[in-house]
Amino acid sequence: MIALKFTVNQQDIEITVPDSMRLLDILREELNLTGTKEGCGIGECGACTVIMDGAAVNSCLILAEQCQGSRVETVENLEKDKILSQLQEAFLENGAVQCGFCTPGMLMSAKALLAQNPHPSLEEIKTALEGNLCRCTGYVPIIESVQKAAEKLGKDAK
Amino acid sequence: MNSIIGQKVKRIDGYEKVTGKAVYGDDLKFPGMLHAAVRYADIPAGKITRLETDAAANIPGVKAIALHSDIPGSDKVGPIRQDYLPIVKDEVFFTGDVLAVVAAETKEIAYQATEAIQVTYEEFEPVCNLEEAVKPESRLVHPEYKSNIMVHYPLIKGDIRKGFSESDKVIERTYRTGYQEHTYIEPESVTAVPDPSTNGFKIYGSIQNPYTTRKVVAIFMGLKLNQVNVIQSTLGGSFGGKDDIVSNMACRAAILVYKTEKPVKLTYTRENSMRESYKRHPYIMKYKAGFTKTGKLKAMQINILAECGAYSSQTFFVTWRSVVQATGPYQIENVQTDIKGVYTNKPYTAAFRGFGSPQIIFAQESLMDEIAQICGISPIEIRKINGYKQGSITASGQVLDQHKVSLQQVMQKAAHKANFTPKYKQFQAKNKKTSRYKLGIGLACSFRGCSLGAEGTDASSAIVSVQADGSVILLSGVTENGQGLRTTLSQIAAEILGIDLNQITFLQPQTSTINDGGPTVASRGTIVGGNATIKAANEIKKRIFSVIKDELKVHKLEQTVWQNGNIFNKQDKKLSINFNQAAEKAYFAGINLSAYGWFKAPEVSWEEETGQGIAYFTYVYGCQIVEVKLDTFTGKISVEKITAAHDVGKVINRLGAEGQVYGGTTQGMGYGVMEDFDVQRGIVKSDNVDQYLIPTIKDIKEIQPVLVENPDKYGPFGAKSIGEPTLELTAAATNNAYCMASGQRSYRIPLTLEQVKLGKNLKKPVRQSEASHSGKKLHPRLSNIKTITPVNLAEALRLIHKQKFQPLAGGTDVIVQARKSNKTIKLMHISKIEELEKIEFSETGCKIGAAVTFSQILENKKLQKHFPLLIKACSLIGSTQIRNRATIGGNIVNAAPCADSVPPLIAYGAKLKLQSAQNTREMLLADFIKGSYNTQLLPDELLTHIIVPKLPHPGYFYSYFQLGRRQAVNITRMSVSVLVHLNESGIVDDCRVVDGSLFKKPQRIKAVEEVLLKQKLSKDIIAAVEQPLSQKIEDEIGGRWSAEYKKPVFIDICQDALNDIWQQARKK
Repeated sequence: MIALKFTVNQQDIEITVPDSMRLLDILREELNLTGTKEGCGIGECGACTVIMDGAAVNSCLILAEQCQGSRVETVENLEKDKILSQLQEAFLENGAVQCGFCTPGMLMSAKALLAQNPHPSLEEIKTALEGNLCRCTGYVPIIESVQKAAEKLGKDAK
Repeated sequence: MNSIIGQKVKRIDGYEKVTGKAVYGDDLKFPGMLHAAVRYADIPAGKITRLETDAAANIPGVKAIALHSDIPGSDKVGPIRQDYLPIVKDEVFFTGDVLAVVAAETKEIAYQATEAIQVTYEEFEPVCNLEEAVKPESRLVHPEYKSNIMVHYPLIKGDIRKGFSESDKVIERTYRTGYQEHTYIEPESVTAVPDPSTNGFKIYGSIQNPYTTRKVVAIFMGLKLNQVNVIQSTLGGSFGGKDDIVSNMACRAAILVYKTEKPVKLTYTRENSMRESYKRHPYIMKYKAGFTKTGKLKAMQINILAECGAYSSQTFFVTWRSVVQATGPYQIENVQTDIKGVYTNKPYTAAFRGFGSPQIIFAQESLMDEIAQICGISPIEIRKINGYKQGSITASGQVLDQHKVSLQQVMQKAAHKANFTPKYKQFQAKNKKTSRYKLGIGLACSFRGCSLGAEGTDASSAIVSVQADGSVILLSGVTENGQGLRTTLSQIAAEILGIDLNQITFLQPQTSTINDGGPTVASRGTIVGGNATIKAANEIKKRIFSVIKDELKVHKLEQTVWQNGNIFNKQDKKLSINFNQAAEKAYFAGINLSAYGWFKAPEVSWEEETGQGIAYFTYVYGCQIVEVKLDTFTGKISVEKITAAHDVGKVINRLGAEGQVYGGTTQGMGYGVMEDFDVQRGIVKSDNVDQYLIPTIKDIKEIQPVLVENPDKYGPFGAKSIGEPTLELTAAATNNAYCMASGQRSYRIPLTLEQVKLGKNLKKPVRQSEASHSGKKLHPRLSNIKTITPVNLAEALRLIHKQKFQPLAGGTDVIVQARKSNKTIKLMHISKIEELEKIEFSETGCKIGAAVTFSQILENKKLQKHFPLLIKACSLIGSTQIRNRATIGGNIVNAAPCADSVPPLIAYGAKLKLQSAQNTREMLLADFIKGSYNTQLLPDELLTHIIVPKLPHPGYFYSYFQLGRRQAVNITRMSVSVLVHLNESGIVDDCRVVDGSLFKKPQRIKAVEEVLLKQKLSKDIIAAVEQPLSQKIEDEIGGRWSAEYKKPVFIDICQDALNDIWQQARKK
């Protein structure tokens, strides 16, 4: 068992979990944050993507021990005071959501990108999202959404 | 107010999906809930001679084990032929068969219990070959049915003998397609909950067709339909795939509830899903076509074998659609089609978006292009000559005069939008001048019957319920599968009632609240669900009208307009009443404001013996044009543009309709070029999404939807279908584009690297010892990990000196491998050890800590400047998420043949620093790696640093090429890394060429380097590399299964990399 201290969505978490537990399990089963999804368990589909210490990561490939002292952000952290983030709005406006199962992971990858690179090129967007599989949308509306959210965020910053 | 029909409307269930609040099957929790797991068959075919569950039952926390003998109702289920056993009896038919199902306190205990169940078999030789399976001497997969041919649909129109005799030319071709896996991103999950009020169950989960699931569970559990209430959870993709399998899972969960009286959840891992779930049918299609010199089709004879795998499932329906549409949208006087569905001991096949059409469209559209070529006419011309027009007669004798036959229109629109004809000529001219990359453009057309047609009962239900305040609840007997049906049906109700979309709530339906609306399949959601919604909404209008007509001074409903939330007198708009007030008025007048809409599709007919009849009440038409770039060296196809023109009747939600085009074409593209589900001797080799590849975001370039509207008299507002038509054409058009680019015809999809390069789909052969699942971890997962984190390097070294720990850095390889291991794995977490996290530069080069991630490497400006070859290779490793975690040390120590950082590091002459508590040593990376997953690392040693020496001179040229099966997130198939330095006279004075994934370990290829050293680069000198390189490859890997592909390709990409260097040097 591991006595774990870290933060999730700005909340301090202290929890004791088995060594075999993954960040994904801790979020879904221990903290009831079920927005983060499991699609493959081997880091290939990106449905479990969360932001850890500023970087998009597959939470299915992170063991409890590796979370010690980290800052984790999940999809549940995007809406603030009942207001959706620009990214979430853009996903809805542009039809980037169909079944929605890849959406939390997509949003977190996109958020990590825009935090580091507010004006990404098309190729940079694709690179940031290459590890997130989507079977419904053909990706086109997702790319548009990230572009539009970046534009909007740029304008808001001015 | 503008009509809401045809607008871009945000999906009404979007909010919960972008916030993570939507509840999918595995998100459900119930008090006291148990977790279930299944025990699969170890072999594809055989008798079970012993099934021992005592050890499993004795594991603490195991609550129940259900076997065949526990089934309270019927043990066999299936949509037409009941040949499927959710829990098998004494025989197994494929490796996805379930022998037992366990409920336990935790998922982990359930998994352990399934693995503790001991089974022995009397093995049968599995029936694995479709063409062998139909021979009389073949072993019968299901002896009780007397034949492996489980269905045969004939179709006869005219006289093919006469037709062939009247033809100027007759050709015969055979086409083959493989399995396709749905690969919805959400694996299946079902939860069964005891329902004391009915003495039955509530079933929740990722259920595509709740009514089917209800029926199957009721039969299996021996219950009435009203004792099983099925409530669909938010569905994480289905595409036809969460039908039978989920019903069968529901049976297993229900039987465990029956035994334990507790809620039971059964969630599948991706590996479970890939192993058990049904796929798209592989087809072998023989087409014989007779035609005149001018390209007029005279006769067509079609013989198709459809592989249904171990169970019949939906094969009856799938093959029926194929027989109706097998000639494509072409009028032919004389047709004979025979399609047979055939059992094998492989994964079974059933519904998948397209449903028996993508296969035949691939065949018939390839055939049309080939006939055009023979006749010397264009692909457009051949389809103009033969394609359906108003009043044409189909192969089944149906006269197409009840809807607008828009084949020519969609083809013309697609061709115009894609600039087909000019581009075709441009590409032909360009291809004459280029050697490696060729361009291609191809098209494909189809007609498709809407909804179920004569294959089954076609009716649907809706409830529109207006509340006293004017808010509306809508229920439908068809379901939201992610496609956007809730939004579409709400739009339809809003339009009829003249109210805002926000005023409507679409209620998640339960099978016990609204009657069976038929399955949500066959692209029928909008057309039949929409019609039922219209009927219910119109009924509501009539009822409300009865209480407001006096106020509006009208006598008939037709004299009113319902708009903007108001009801007006058409003649005198001043006379109006607010919808909400009208609702309130009706409520107080005691009017029933809940109306049921029932839509039964128009009559259709079918003659079984001749295959003649009115197959579907209406059809849609589509044409897609695909542009490809072909790498002739490697066989890799990249799809550059897809133009998709579809007659949808009428667009209801433009955002949704275009979304269907983007998504459907992407799946179709995957089907055409990369989706290669590998089953060897009945064993599923493609057991996760690292092996079964679907398109990533980088595989998609441009997709252009062209939505054509010809309102249909039977459709709601004229709307028809869009879901499946978008998928069915893309592979066919892609193949035609590829054939144009390559100048040769191809008769098999997917167009994998090997298929393109060698004309066959080369596969790693399985050894007999591998040909069963026994001995492997049945459910890959992390279960037996021990972790420890040392504070610094010294402690780390002390720890591994004392006991065996495996270092854990990023974990992207270690964790994936640990999932498959049965042993306890002790991991030492080293990624936060400061000494291992630095990148340091000195006069002599650079020292990279073993725990430095690839993202850190890529961001480092000095590495970018001094070691660009390394940067280039590292940028192509995995995905962003992987690069954010994976470390360079991990990549090296894991020593996978495909490790991307290794070849460039070898080219730079990298050394490794290996430390133990007692000793520190340095070793060349080239020597450290002994072979595949095999290194010189001692058990008590850690790789601490990678030392990359500076190149001896400035001005090195580099070239790197990585080959993968798709455009991103690849397991590298092969790579080549080249560093070359030229002296002032342009003579090669240093040259380093390293392979990746070719030889048994990556290495400098002296045979190539020696040819180039002390020479000027030239065409001839690069050509001179071929012979020694060829010899070297032959010597090293000549006997390997993959050599046939790898040898010529590596020679080409190696020479091309050298050419690249030569060109760089010339430019300088």
